[in-house]
Amino acid sequence: MRFNILIGGRAGQGINKVSQIVSDILTKHGYFTFNYRDYPSLIRGGHNFNVLSISDKRVGSYESELDGIIAMDEKTLLLHKNELKKNGFIIDFKEFENLGRNLNIALAGALIKIFGIEKAILVERIKQEFNNKEALDAAEKGFNKKEKKFELKKLKNNIVRMSGSQGVAEGAVNSKIDLYLSYPMTPATAVMHELAAKQIENNLVVFQPENEIAVANAGLGASFAGAKTMIGSSGGGYDLMTEALSMQGISEIPLVVYLASRPGPGTGIPTYSTQADLDVALRGGHGEFPRIVIAPGDPIECIEKTNEAFYLSEKYGALSIILSDKHLAESEFSTDRKPNKILNLEIKRKIPGEGIVKASSYEHDEFGNTTEIPAIAKKNADDRTKKYEKIKEESEKFQMIKTYGNKNAKNLIIGWGSTKTAILDAIDSIDESIENPSKGNWKFLQVLYMKPMSDEIKKEIEKADKVILIEQNVTGQLGRLIREKTGIKIKNRILKYDGKPFASDELKNDLLKIK
Amino acid sequence: MTNTDELKKKLGTKEEITWCPGCKNFLILEAVKKALAKLISEGYKHENLAMATGIGCHQKIYDYININGIYGLHGRVIPTAYGMKLGNPNLTVIGFAGDGDAYAEGMEHFIHAGRFNFDMTYIVADNQNFALTTGQATPTSQQGYKNKAEPLGEFNKPFNPIKLALACGMSFIARCDPRDINHTAEIIERAIKHKGFAYIEMMQHCLAFNIETNEEDRIMYKVDNKDGMKKAMELADEWDYNSKNGKIPIGIIYQENRKTQEDEWPQLKKLVEKKVGWKNFKK
Ligand SMILES: Cc1ncc(C[n+]2csc(CCOP(=O)(O)OP(=O)(O)O)c2C)c(N)n1
Ligand code: SF4
Ligand SMILES: [Mg+2]
Repeated sequence: MRFNILIGGRAGQGINKVSQIVSDILTKHGYFTFNYRDYPSLIRGGHNFNVLSISDKRVGSYESELDGIIAMDEKTLLLHKNELKKNGFIIDFKEFENLGRNLNIALAGALIKIFGIEKAILVERIKQEFNNKEALDAAEKGFNKKEKKFELKKLKNNIVRMSGSQGVAEGAVNSKIDLYLSYPMTPATAVMHELAAKQIENNLVVFQPENEIAVANAGLGASFAGAKTMIGSSGGGYDLMTEALSMQGISEIPLVVYLASRPGPGTGIPTYSTQADLDVALRGGHGEFPRIVIAPGDPIECIEKTNEAFYLSEKYGALSIILSDKHLAESEFSTDRKPNKILNLEIKRKIPGEGIVKASSYEHDEFGNTTEIPAIAKKNADDRTKKYEKIKEESEKFQMIKTYGNKNAKNLIIGWGSTKTAILDAIDSIDESIENPSKGNWKFLQVLYMKPMSDEIKKEIEKADKVILIEQNVTGQLGRLIREKTGIKIKNRILKYDGKPFASDELKNDLLKIK
Repeated sequence: MTNTDELKKKLGTKEEITWCPGCKNFLILEAVKKALAKLISEGYKHENLAMATGIGCHQKIYDYININGIYGLHGRVIPTAYGMKLGNPNLTVIGFAGDGDAYAEGMEHFIHAGRFNFDMTYIVADNQNFALTTGQATPTSQQGYKNKAEPLGEFNKPFNPIKLALACGMSFIARCDPRDINHTAEIIERAIKHKGFAYIEMMQHCLAFNIETNEEDRIMYKVDNKDGMKKAMELADEWDYNSKNGKIPIGIIYQENRKTQEDEWPQLKKLVEKKVGWKNFKK
């Protein structure tokens, strides 16, 4: 069972509220939901839409064909009616009059009725948030307007909903973050908002410096002084930070960076999604120095991997980059999986106040004093390389890769980051390889640690007959990285780079086309 | 040896000093050590003193003072330093920058420093050129200054950083002549004791490049302004960094007391109350 409902309207009309009310009710009812948000870069007007995907099984993508459309304005039907399946339904704003701000509540009510869920459940949910007569009337009006079309029985799943941004924020709080520094930039901003909202109860500071250059340098200053520090940005803002990231390499002041990428080059299409910044995450900043780049693929992994990023960064005085993108950061996922145990991280290094400590962007001796002696320069460079080997060794304790589906399958898909859940959905829609691995013909290898990289990847590729690379960029950046590490070129590639994430049904067709 | 002499010795290092003989950076170093020794003798904790430096001749001070520090990036002294304050508001933080560092590469930080008003000190060694890169013109070089990058002479009018600092709301603004070590040490001490962002424009005339600026000391005179903003603006206007005439006021040009950035954050106030940084704060 799977539904895809598009909710469209102008910015500011409250389409997210419709998604939220419906998702709250459905997840409580035991159904998995996935909410994709599509919006241009403006605050009022334009055309925004969400696609809310609903399933009795795990779901993490949308499909291109719609089961229903909720239209909050004229444009929505004009633009999306051709995506509606033959027997699809429409809930049109024109069916309701004089509801003002409460139109979205009525539309949510109508959908709940269509799904055959009891009115009492709807009323309870609306009361929780609004508890005023107009809102309750609107919900009732919506509910009464439509006929029941399906019968969604209550299921026994225990589901939480979360965006990737919430996951990163939770992972940072689990790591006992003291300071988050960021300058607003979509799609990184949501983490700043999440952490700021709860900064008093969590005893941390969220500070917005004058620009990203200040963010990165202040991040080093704060971490040097003993604060567990994360900084965050997206494309251009991250570019501005890179000189300081390079300084991290030589000063060895621990630093965690949250990089939520969006389509470039330049300003690109700021509110849409691609995976085009793996290269710059791996290499941004001059000179040669170790770094850790981890790309979670869902919000629970965001929690876990952010914690690992903090842990490794503090333990090795290293740069940890958590690489996400707009689709992961802003889509709302649902899951019944609990995150792994939290890694405890301790600051063991001496900090100012406990003695005299020096950290330098210049090559330096063991006391932090400037030196240009070739033997020391060479030793320091060698030490940085050795440090990377240690980081790699320790990373092997964590899940650097994950595999899904039939262990012995000959069809191997390789991907990373936000494409993960769409890939899982696409494979399941072919032969349920993920749900029932023993019967399937497919296997999916998800790469989480981009740097250091697992040696298992090569072995997996060598075992497979057909290998397919899936990425949301033009050049297949993970593919190039794998080729650099293993010498293997993956010839079959499904690459998408129009700013829109993969729809799982389209991805399925693309997969089946590869012979 | 007096107590402060001994403290001063502890503030020194064994690193070989690589400034040109006679460079006024020696005098700045001496004045800084003198001021810090006095503060330590008054109860400031040596291990709580920290510096952040930029890149240029001035920044070599990083190797010559025995306090905590980050030898940072060119132009980034202010955020590096206020980052330290966010990391532990109990630290006494001093930033050392050059004029290229502060007024060219890192100007965006300078402009916001007054608004943020972190409780820290910012000393700019202004030699009216990029000395370490062999003498190109900075925003405070006088018109006509011939240098290897501009053999036709500098066309652009210099700006007046004191006026800019006033406009940006810095809560402590001073100018020093390091030739007068005692006066300079006293101003540094007052800057460190000031609650808020304290900026010192240090006239560090260079002996290798733009040497004609060395004549500026002839028109310097001392002030200690207690008459507020209007007087401060007048003092700032007395010299435009361009002419050989006018008067150059040395001393405190402006000071006001207002809430610091650290005062605004309940989270940071807790660290101040408990006298710990984040590392030793139990959550
Ligand atoms: C980002 C960056 N740009 C350029 C440089 C090269 N650089 C090193 S020192 C310096 C000039 C420093 O001038 P100033 O701050 O006035 O210091 P001074 O040497 O005069 O004391 C420059 C431009 C650098 N280190 N980093
Ligand atoms: S070049 Fe100028 S500023 Fe640099 S050390 Fe020599 S005299 Fe001092
Ligand atoms: Mg200079």
